[in-house]
Amino acid sequence: MSRARNRIAGLISVFGELLITAGLVLGLFVVYSLWWTNVLADRAADKEGAQVRGEWADQGPGALDTKGGLGFLHVPAFGGDEILVKRGTESDVLNNGVAGYYTEPVKSALPQDERGNFTLAAHRDGHGAKFHNIHKLKNGDPIVFESKDTWYVYKVYKTLPETTKYNVDVLQPVPEESGKKEPGRYITLTTCTPMYTSDYRYIVWGELARTEKVDADRTPPAELR
Amino acid sequence: MYGWIWRHLPGNAWVKALISVVLVLAVVYVLFQYVFPWAEPLLPFNDVTVDGQ
Repeated sequence: MSRARNRIAGLISVFGELLITAGLVLGLFVVYSLWWTNVLADRAADKEGAQVRGEWADQGPGALDTKGGLGFLHVPAFGGDEILVKRGTESDVLNNGVAGYYTEPVKSALPQDERGNFTLAAHRDGHGAKFHNIHKLKNGDPIVFESKDTWYVYKVYKTLPETTKYNVDVLQPVPEESGKKEPGRYITLTTCTPMYTSDYRYIVWGELARTEKVDADRTPPAELR
Repeated sequence: MYGWIWRHLPGNAWVKALISVVLVLAVVYVLFQYVFPWAEPLLPFNDVTVDGQ
Protein backbone atom coordinates (compact mmCIF):
# COMPACT_ATOMS: atom_id res chain seq x y z
CA MET A 1 0.00 0.00 0.00
CA SER A 2 2.61 2.52 1.05
CA ARG A 3 4.73 1.51 -1.94
CA ALA A 4 1.86 2.32 -4.29
CA ARG A 5 1.37 5.65 -2.54
CA ASN A 6 5.03 6.46 -2.86
CA ARG A 7 4.84 5.70 -6.54
CA ILE A 8 1.91 8.05 -7.04
CA ALA A 9 3.59 10.77 -4.99
CA GLY A 10 6.72 10.32 -7.10
CA LEU A 11 4.78 10.61 -10.35
CA ILE A 12 3.03 13.75 -9.18
CA SER A 13 6.27 15.36 -8.15
CA VAL A 14 7.86 14.56 -11.52
CA PHE A 15 4.82 16.08 -13.22
CA GLY A 16 5.15 19.19 -11.08
CA GLU A 17 8.82 19.51 -11.89
CA LEU A 18 8.05 19.20 -15.58
CA LEU A 19 5.53 22.05 -15.29
CA ILE A 20 8.07 24.24 -13.50
CA THR A 21 10.61 23.39 -16.18
CA ALA A 22 8.15 24.32 -18.94
CA GLY A 23 7.55 27.66 -17.24
CA LEU A 24 11.28 28.36 -17.04
CA VAL A 25 11.76 27.42 -20.70
CA LEU A 26 8.97 29.80 -21.76
CA GLY A 27 10.54 32.53 -19.66
CA LEU A 28 13.86 31.90 -21.36
CA PHE A 29 12.13 32.10 -24.74
CA VAL A 30 10.95 35.61 -23.89
CA VAL A 31 14.51 36.54 -22.96
CA TYR A 32 15.67 35.06 -26.24
CA SER A 33 13.06 36.85 -28.36
CA LEU A 34 13.28 40.29 -26.82
CA TRP A 35 16.92 40.49 -25.91
CA TRP A 36 19.23 37.90 -27.41
CA THR A 37 17.95 38.22 -31.00
CA ASN A 38 18.56 41.98 -30.71
CA VAL A 39 22.13 41.38 -29.61
CA LEU A 40 22.79 39.07 -32.55
CA ALA A 41 20.95 41.25 -35.08
CA ASP A 42 22.62 44.48 -34.05
CA ARG A 43 25.99 42.83 -34.21
CA ALA A 44 25.29 41.54 -37.75
CA ALA A 45 23.83 44.86 -38.90
CA ASP A 46 26.73 46.89 -37.54
CA LYS A 47 29.17 44.66 -39.34
CA GLU A 48 27.30 44.81 -42.64
CA GLY A 49 26.71 48.53 -42.31
CA ALA A 50 30.40 49.16 -41.75
CA GLN A 51 31.12 47.03 -44.80
CA VAL A 52 28.76 49.09 -46.97
CA ARG A 53 30.31 52.34 -45.75
CA GLY A 54 33.74 50.89 -46.41
CA GLU A 55 32.81 50.00 -49.98
CA TRP A 56 31.35 53.46 -50.55
CA ALA A 57 34.53 55.08 -49.31
CA ASP A 58 36.69 52.86 -51.49
CA GLN A 59 34.84 53.42 -54.73
CA GLY A 60 34.23 57.13 -54.55
CA PRO A 61 31.18 58.53 -56.33
CA GLY A 62 29.51 56.29 -58.84
CA ALA A 63 26.70 53.90 -59.46
CA LEU A 64 24.60 52.38 -56.74
CA ASP A 65 25.78 48.99 -55.58
CA THR A 66 23.02 46.98 -53.96
CA LYS A 67 24.86 43.78 -53.18
CA GLY A 68 25.73 44.26 -49.51
CA GLY A 69 23.05 46.80 -48.86
CA LEU A 70 21.34 49.64 -50.60
CA GLY A 71 21.91 52.36 -48.05
CA PHE A 72 20.73 53.61 -44.70
CA LEU A 73 17.43 54.79 -43.34
CA HIS A 74 17.49 57.60 -40.80
CA VAL A 75 14.31 58.23 -38.85
CA PRO A 76 14.73 60.86 -36.12
CA ALA A 77 11.37 59.89 -34.57
CA PHE A 78 12.70 56.37 -33.91
CA GLY A 79 15.43 57.85 -31.77
CA GLY A 80 17.84 55.09 -32.66
CA ASP A 81 20.66 54.48 -35.01
CA GLU A 82 20.71 54.35 -38.76
CA ILE A 83 19.02 51.29 -40.29
CA LEU A 84 20.72 49.35 -43.04
CA VAL A 85 18.43 48.64 -46.00
CA LYS A 86 18.80 45.42 -47.93
CA ARG A 87 16.95 43.59 -50.66
CA GLY A 88 14.13 41.23 -49.74
CA THR A 89 11.78 40.73 -46.82
CA GLU A 90 12.44 37.06 -46.03
CA SER A 91 13.17 36.35 -42.40
CA ASP A 92 16.81 35.47 -43.06
CA VAL A 93 17.25 39.03 -44.33
CA LEU A 94 15.19 40.86 -41.72
CA ASN A 95 16.53 38.81 -38.82
CA ASN A 96 19.92 40.46 -39.26
CA GLY A 97 18.65 43.76 -37.94
CA VAL A 98 17.97 45.47 -41.24
CA ALA A 99 14.99 46.88 -43.10
CA GLY A 100 14.26 44.99 -46.29
CA TYR A 101 12.60 46.31 -49.41
CA TYR A 102 9.85 44.21 -50.91
CA THR A 103 10.50 42.02 -53.92
CA GLU A 104 7.11 40.33 -53.64
CA PRO A 105 4.11 40.33 -53.59
CA VAL A 106 4.49 43.88 -54.97
CA LYS A 107 7.94 44.82 -56.17
CA SER A 108 9.34 47.90 -54.50
CA ALA A 109 10.57 50.88 -56.45
CA LEU A 110 14.00 52.21 -55.50
CA PRO A 111 14.52 55.76 -54.25
CA GLN A 112 16.26 56.88 -57.40
CA ASP A 113 13.40 55.72 -59.64
CA GLU A 114 11.44 58.48 -61.36
CA ARG A 115 8.26 57.31 -59.68
CA GLY A 116 7.07 54.45 -57.58
CA ASN A 117 6.77 53.28 -54.02
CA PHE A 118 9.84 52.38 -51.96
CA THR A 119 8.35 49.73 -49.66
CA LEU A 120 10.17 48.50 -46.57
CA ALA A 121 9.60 46.02 -43.76
CA ALA A 122 11.48 45.52 -40.50
CA HIS A 123 10.93 43.92 -37.12
CA ARG A 124 8.92 45.60 -34.40
CA ASP A 125 10.43 43.46 -31.62
CA GLY A 126 13.47 41.25 -31.51
CA HIS A 127 16.00 40.84 -34.30
CA GLY A 128 17.11 44.43 -33.91
CA ALA A 129 13.55 45.79 -33.56
CA LYS A 130 14.37 48.47 -36.11
CA PHE A 131 10.77 49.65 -36.52
CA HIS A 132 9.93 49.33 -32.83
CA ASN A 133 8.93 52.99 -32.52
CA ILE A 134 6.88 53.19 -35.69
CA HIS A 135 3.94 54.52 -33.67
CA LYS A 136 5.98 57.65 -32.89
CA LEU A 137 5.97 58.73 -36.54
CA LYS A 138 3.48 61.54 -37.11
CA ASN A 139 2.47 63.42 -40.22
CA GLY A 140 5.21 65.75 -41.36
CA ASP A 141 8.02 63.78 -39.71
CA PRO A 142 11.05 63.18 -41.92
CA ILE A 143 12.24 59.78 -43.08
CA VAL A 144 15.63 60.14 -44.69
CA PHE A 145 17.20 57.54 -46.91
CA GLU A 146 20.93 57.81 -47.47
CA SER A 147 22.32 56.21 -50.60
CA LYS A 148 25.88 56.34 -51.72
CA ASP A 149 25.54 59.74 -53.34
CA THR A 150 22.12 61.15 -52.43
CA TRP A 151 20.01 61.99 -49.39
CA TYR A 152 16.32 61.33 -50.08
CA VAL A 153 14.17 63.28 -47.67
CA TYR A 154 10.65 61.91 -47.35
CA LYS A 155 7.86 63.42 -45.25
CA VAL A 156 5.24 61.25 -43.58
CA TYR A 157 1.73 62.15 -44.77
CA LYS A 158 -0.38 59.22 -43.60
CA THR A 159 -0.28 56.43 -41.05
CA LEU A 160 -2.48 53.37 -40.84
CA PRO A 161 -2.16 51.95 -37.31
CA GLU A 162 -3.91 48.68 -38.02
CA THR A 163 -4.59 46.62 -41.11
CA THR A 164 -4.53 42.96 -42.01
CA LYS A 165 -1.56 41.15 -43.44
CA TYR A 166 -3.65 40.50 -46.55
CA ASN A 167 -3.70 44.18 -47.39
CA VAL A 168 -0.95 44.07 -50.01
CA ASP A 169 -2.46 47.10 -51.76
CA VAL A 170 -0.61 49.34 -49.31
CA LEU A 171 2.49 48.47 -51.35
CA GLN A 172 1.11 49.56 -54.72
CA PRO A 173 3.20 52.06 -56.73
CA VAL A 174 0.38 54.52 -56.13
CA PRO A 175 -0.87 53.63 -52.64
CA GLU A 176 -4.49 54.69 -53.05
CA GLU A 177 -5.40 53.79 -49.50
CA SER A 178 -3.21 56.65 -48.35
CA GLY A 179 -5.28 59.05 -50.42
CA LYS A 180 -2.89 59.41 -53.35
CA LYS A 181 -4.21 59.17 -56.88
CA GLU A 182 -1.23 60.38 -58.91
CA PRO A 183 2.05 58.57 -59.50
CA GLY A 184 4.81 59.99 -57.34
CA ARG A 185 7.83 59.03 -55.28
CA TYR A 186 6.51 57.40 -52.15
CA ILE A 187 7.93 55.43 -49.25
CA THR A 188 6.01 52.83 -47.26
CA LEU A 189 7.10 51.33 -43.93
CA THR A 190 5.42 48.15 -42.73
CA THR A 191 5.81 46.23 -39.51
CA CYS A 192 3.67 44.24 -37.11
CA THR A 193 1.31 45.54 -34.46
CA PRO A 194 0.36 45.47 -31.60
CA MET A 195 3.79 45.26 -30.05
CA TYR A 196 5.09 41.78 -29.23
CA THR A 197 2.58 40.08 -31.54
CA SER A 198 1.78 40.14 -35.19
CA ASP A 199 -1.99 40.10 -35.34
CA TYR A 200 -2.04 43.18 -37.58
CA ARG A 201 0.24 45.37 -39.64
CA TYR A 202 1.19 49.00 -39.06
CA ILE A 203 1.71 51.11 -42.16
CA VAL A 204 3.36 54.53 -42.58
CA TRP A 205 3.42 56.38 -45.89
CA GLY A 206 5.71 59.21 -46.88
CA GLU A 207 6.32 61.24 -49.99
CA LEU A 208 9.63 62.51 -51.31
CA ALA A 209 10.06 66.15 -50.36
CA ARG A 210 13.49 66.76 -51.87
CA THR A 211 16.86 65.19 -52.52
CA GLU A 212 20.31 66.42 -51.64
CA LYS A 213 23.64 65.43 -53.10
CA VAL A 214 25.99 63.82 -50.61
CA ASP A 215 29.02 66.03 -50.11
CA ALA A 216 32.55 64.96 -49.33
CA ASP A 217 31.96 64.95 -45.57
CA ARG A 218 28.60 63.25 -45.90
CA THR A 219 27.01 66.21 -44.09
CA PRO A 220 23.51 65.09 -43.19
CA PRO A 221 20.52 67.15 -44.36
CA ALA A 222 18.93 69.67 -41.98
CA GLU A 223 16.32 67.15 -40.77
CA LEU A 224 19.00 64.98 -39.19
CA ARG A 225 21.00 67.71 -37.49
CA MET B 1 13.24 14.10 -11.42
CA TYR B 2 15.67 16.77 -10.26
CA GLY B 3 16.10 14.87 -6.98
CA TRP B 4 16.97 11.76 -8.94
CA ILE B 5 19.57 13.67 -11.00
CA TRP B 6 21.05 15.18 -7.82
CA ARG B 7 21.40 11.77 -6.19
CA HIS B 8 23.13 10.34 -9.23
CA LEU B 9 25.69 13.11 -9.59
CA PRO B 10 29.09 12.08 -8.25
CA GLY B 11 31.04 13.78 -5.49
CA ASN B 12 30.10 15.84 -2.47
CA ALA B 13 27.54 18.64 -2.40
CA TRP B 14 29.97 21.23 -3.85
CA VAL B 15 30.95 19.05 -6.77
CA LYS B 16 27.31 18.23 -7.41
CA ALA B 17 26.39 21.92 -7.35
CA LEU B 18 29.18 22.71 -9.78
CA ILE B 19 28.12 19.96 -12.18
CA SER B 20 24.52 21.15 -11.88
CA VAL B 21 25.47 24.68 -12.91
CA VAL B 22 27.37 23.32 -15.91
CA LEU B 23 24.38 21.18 -16.89
CA VAL B 24 22.00 24.12 -16.60
CA LEU B 25 24.27 26.29 -18.74
CA ALA B 26 24.50 23.51 -21.32
CA VAL B 27 20.72 23.29 -21.48
CA VAL B 28 20.36 27.07 -21.86
CA TYR B 29 22.97 27.03 -24.62
CA VAL B 30 21.16 24.30 -26.54
CA LEU B 31 17.87 26.18 -26.15
CA PHE B 32 19.27 29.52 -27.37
CA GLN B 33 21.38 28.05 -30.12
CA TYR B 34 19.12 25.39 -31.56
CA VAL B 35 15.66 25.06 -30.05
CA PHE B 36 14.48 28.69 -29.97
CA PRO B 37 15.72 29.61 -33.47
CA TRP B 38 13.85 26.56 -34.72
CA ALA B 39 10.66 27.32 -32.80
CA GLU B 40 10.48 31.05 -33.47
CA PRO B 41 9.29 31.04 -37.09
CA LEU B 42 6.56 28.59 -36.10
CA LEU B 43 5.09 31.06 -33.63
CA PRO B 44 2.97 34.06 -34.66
CA PHE B 45 4.93 36.83 -32.92
CA ASN B 46 7.18 38.27 -35.55
CA ASP B 47 5.59 38.43 -39.00
CA VAL B 48 6.13 41.94 -40.22
CA THR B 49 5.30 41.88 -43.91
CA VAL B 50 2.05 42.24 -45.78
CA ASP B 51 2.09 39.22 -48.01
CA GLY B 52 -1.37 37.73 -47.89
CA GLN B 53 -0.02 34.44 -46.62
